[in-house]
Amino acid sequence: MAKIIFRLFASFVVFVGVFILIQQSLIPDSFGKYGHYRANSIEDNKISSSFYKGEKECTSCHQDLYDQKDSDLHSNVRCESCHIPKIDVFTDCEVMPPIVEGTNDFCAACHATNPGRLKKGVPQLDFKEHEPDKKCIECHNPHAPWELLE
Amino acid sequence: MGTTRIKNNRRKFFQTSAALLGGTIMYSLIKPFEALSQPQTEDIKENKEDLPLWGMGVDIESCIGCGKCAEACKIENNVPKEPFYFRTWIEQYTVKNDGEVKIESPNGGIGGLQQSVPDEDIFKSFMVPKLCNHCTEAPCVQACPVGATFISPDGVVLVDDSYCIGCSYCIQACPYGARFMNPITKVADKCTFCYHRISDGLQPACVEVCPTDARIFGNLRDKKSDLVKFLQKNPTQVLKPHLNTHSRVFYNGLSSEVR
Amino acid sequence: MEEHYQHLYQALSQVEGYIYPNDIDLHWGLMIVLYPYITGLVAGAFILASLERVFDVKVLKPTYGLALLTALAFLLVATLPLVSHLEHPLRSYEIFMTPNSTSAMAIFGFVYLWYLMVVLLLEIWFDYRRDFVLWSKTSTGFKKLFYKVITLGINDTDEKSVKLDDKLGYFITVLGIPSAFLLHGYVGFIFGSIKANPWWSTVLMPVIFLFSAMVSGIALVMVIYMVVCWIRRVKIDMPALDTIAKYLFYILIIDFTLESLDQIHRIYEAEESFDIIKVLVGGKLNITLLFMQVILGTLIPLAVIGLFQVYKPSEKIRKIAYLVVGILVLVGIFFMRWNVVIGGQLFSKSLSGFTSFNAVYYGMEGYLMTAIWLILPLGILAFLLWLMPPWKKIAAH
Repeated sequence: MAKIIFRLFASFVVFVGVFILIQQSLIPDSFGKYGHYRANSIEDNKISSSFYKGEKECTSCHQDLYDQKDSDLHSNVRCESCHIPKIDVFTDCEVMPPIVEGTNDFCAACHATNPGRLKKGVPQLDFKEHEPDKKCIECHNPHAPWELLE
Repeated sequence: MGTTRIKNNRRKFFQTSAALLGGTIMYSLIKPFEALSQPQTEDIKENKEDLPLWGMGVDIESCIGCGKCAEACKIENNVPKEPFYFRTWIEQYTVKNDGEVKIESPNGGIGGLQQSVPDEDIFKSFMVPKLCNHCTEAPCVQACPVGATFISPDGVVLVDDSYCIGCSYCIQACPYGARFMNPITKVADKCTFCYHRISDGLQPACVEVCPTDARIFGNLRDKKSDLVKFLQKNPTQVLKPHLNTHSRVFYNGLSSEVR
Repeated sequence: MEEHYQHLYQALSQVEGYIYPNDIDLHWGLMIVLYPYITGLVAGAFILASLERVFDVKVLKPTYGLALLTALAFLLVATLPLVSHLEHPLRSYEIFMTPNSTSAMAIFGFVYLWYLMVVLLLEIWFDYRRDFVLWSKTSTGFKKLFYKVITLGINDTDEKSVKLDDKLGYFITVLGIPSAFLLHGYVGFIFGSIKANPWWSTVLMPVIFLFSAMVSGIALVMVIYMVVCWIRRVKIDMPALDTIAKYLFYILIIDFTLESLDQIHRIYEAEESFDIIKVLVGGKLNITLLFMQVILGTLIPLAVIGLFQVYKPSEKIRKIAYLVVGILVLVGIFFMRWNVVIGGQLFSKSLSGFTSFNAVYYGMEGYLMTAIWLILPLGILAFLLWLMPPWKKIAAH
């Protein structure tokens, strides 16, 4: 009687033992250091190229435009809000700068009349009524929007 | 004759198993010594108080729904441009005069939210940016079967891309709809507070481009930070407080219609 | 990729109300409907077998071996839908290496291994050991080799060893009942513990899953028993069949009560999520829930078998009725899983809108894959019945 039970119990113990050994060898080394995760993943998550560099990078070459922007109503709008640093694979300030097309749709993203935008300090207008045939930048300098051109 | 044959087979079976077992034991004994010879990975400061505890404030009274944050996030974090995957997005709530609430977020708000209800029907309208709330008691972290998503020591909920098995349980567990399955990496993806930027002293991309400073990022442990000042000055709320997730994204101006 | 995006653009055009942008895609599809269905069949078939072994319902003896082998055949296939579903199936070993103690899903590997090896295989082994020894003497070829190996060298066939086999088998079955509850109950907990989803988050979920599992398992054994008898051209043991139907009836009543209780509770409390759930049940789920699950899968079987408890028609009519009822129940429980898994993802976490489920035919999550995973266990069962036919067991006393 004892034979079967002993053998079954012994094989169970051996199975669990082998399982634990395999487990120890397969668990990643940094696992469990700070919690139930692979601690090295914290560093892995920090590795990524940043496309948005921040205004300080822009002013290293374009201080004049920054100063102009600072003097007018777009002073709160950072350079990269409009100048998207990655329009396509070739975008690189020195090679192919992120030029803004200045289409009405682009400016409408912030300035089109929308009841959700009332009283938030951003001028609103109906783009179908206000000079629908012209591009915004034909009259407004985007870095100094109240300085009307022409 | 039959039983002697069986006895031989059994002996062979035990011999092979013993060899395998012995080999595995030897390997697992050697492995810890191997680890000692490798250079140690950079240790995170053990003292919790030195580490920041990251959080974000959202000022609904400032948000104009221009969509620049959602667009910048996709660019900065290589999120597919299709309208199905968002680490952050903006919703427009239009409360009509008859009490009906219309909520919309076409392409997550990228390109700017547009008016879709005539002026005369509108009672009030506002924009609500949404993102991962980096809950201190995150239900997604609780649900992950393998430990591929976790809260970092500085309070950011992150995903281990090389460990995630793609079961989508965390996506089901998130009450805020902040997670999605990345179709290219095939692992769970979500806002990381731009962990690669904040660890370098930069702001998250969404905060960087917001023209009205509707997003305020900062260290909750730093009494002088903009975020703490924002929390002190305004009556803030979190989304779905009844779920007790201890969310660390605080909204000023959150109206009861917000889902 | 293009096809995937087209699929999503189609879903986008069918959105009703407002959904969180990331809620457009249903992450858990047919494979996740299948997994609880299959483990439910396993648990249910096992419970039916244990009725004979532990609770001494002797009239069920003709179906005991069949129920065990059915459970085994389906258990062997149970992991496969999950592996089809994972985005990184090669990393699935991680669930064994670093299971997260706070995650219900992490129990899967261990409970599955435990149930397969310690409960099911051992019980079958204890039940068949003596027969393996005797069969090995009279068979040839593959069968002979198999029988010789599987006895693991324990070749006693005397009275004492049979009594021991019996005792140990009984012990394993007693151990197996809570194990079967755990095997399927944890699946219910996987859904029931998600506070983010109000359709899933209910205390009753593990219990509902368990009882619907028992219902489906019993119906499965009933149908398979009838089919196998017909194939073998053997007379069906009517007392056994009547008893199985009776147990099906009782457990179906409990299952229906629990599910109704869940819905009544929802309707009465009418808390935040009720508005969208009301639209869900009356709209997108009206066919799969109200018609397939409730009417076809529950009410008609209850009415038919209930009638037989008071008025017993002829054997011929009963046989046809049991076959139809068994199939209706199997279909109904499949749709119960569908309504839970897919229903829970049809409405957004915004509680303000719906997306849509457009099933595909091919691919890892399609109808074809579903059919394969359902037919495969039947093939395995056929093989097991050829290898270890329960009707050829040599009676000891």
